[in-house]
Amino acid sequence: MTAANNTAQNSFIVVQIGGRKLALRADVVTELSAPVRLHAFPHTSRAVLGVIIRRGRIIPVYDVAPLLAGRSLLTQRFYLVARRHIGQASEFGALPVSGECELVSGEMQPPAGDGPAYICGTLAVGEQSLDVVDFDALVTSQESADDAAGSGEVPS
Amino acid sequence: MNTPRGQEAPSRRRRRTETVVLFGVANQEFAISADSVQEIRSTDGLAGAANEIEQPVLPKVRHIIEHGHRAYYVVNAGVHFELPVSRPALLLMLRDSHVAVLIDRIERMTQISSLYPLPLAFRGEERRWYRGLAYVEDAVIPLVHSGGFLTPEECELLDQAAKAQAEQQAAEGAVPA
Repeated sequence: MTAANNTAQNSFIVVQIGGRKLALRADVVTELSAPVRLHAFPHTSRAVLGVIIRRGRIIPVYDVAPLLAGRSLLTQRFYLVARRHIGQASEFGALPVSGECELVSGEMQPPAGDGPAYICGTLAVGEQSLDVVDFDALVTSQESADDAAGSGEVPS
Repeated sequence: MNTPRGQEAPSRRRRRTETVVLFGVANQEFAISADSVQEIRSTDGLAGAANEIEQPVLPKVRHIIEHGHRAYYVVNAGVHFELPVSRPALLLMLRDSHVAVLIDRIERMTQISSLYPLPLAFRGEERRWYRGLAYVEDAVIPLVHSGGFLTPEECELLDQAAKAQAEQQAAEGAVPA
């Protein structure tokens, strides 16, 4: 592993989603953008709020606040854009985030206990220990929760 | 604002210019290929031609309309797209189809030069509803698939219901007074 890789893997973006402070690995984050216009149209994919246009691409915006905070995000300050892998394909996806965003360095520790699958580790930031979330797993978990809610099942 | 460039699979983006009809239902705007629309009629003059389905099998289809020796199932686009209740005033008669679509208004016709694939994030019925997304004057508008208003199963259900209704009406007509 190169020093550059090491640096990238030890850099994290700290964001707030639904009042909860979380970290994502910086190397999976493509962009933090100002809240541009959300284009909404009818659809049945409940995890998706609509699409935004960033750098000439149409990017779906996911609402993961219900999973993280129990309710949808009412205000936002940024869109966090990252690449999502879906089967063999991949595409960019965005999360609306509230509050300030910070770039921090640190060494990720294994996740504590048997938490949700989307938490891939913990990160010490000052006095706090933040959950580090996996973007792909987070969105997939929200979709699964929505699917389960739609079919009346309790998500595992 | 920049025109959106290709998504992850640029080869899937269509470059051919296409004329589309922009129409509105409730507070939403949609596009449909002009080639797939045979005729646009006001609902005002259709009262006599529309037959109410006595026992609707699909909430979005409550009428059958006879037009040009052809029967059309009238799909309420607001119900189809799960939009708030509106007052449809126009009917899109689709070409080479047994479907007519109730809509609120026509916005205009325009040309699109690019059709962007629906992101994979959209996993539900919208994959059948839409051919893709068009970018028209700073707005992302879904281009509806003209064959997406009724599934083959829904068509079969409607055909059976229409046949049963016709048989019942014929039987009632045959009963001596």
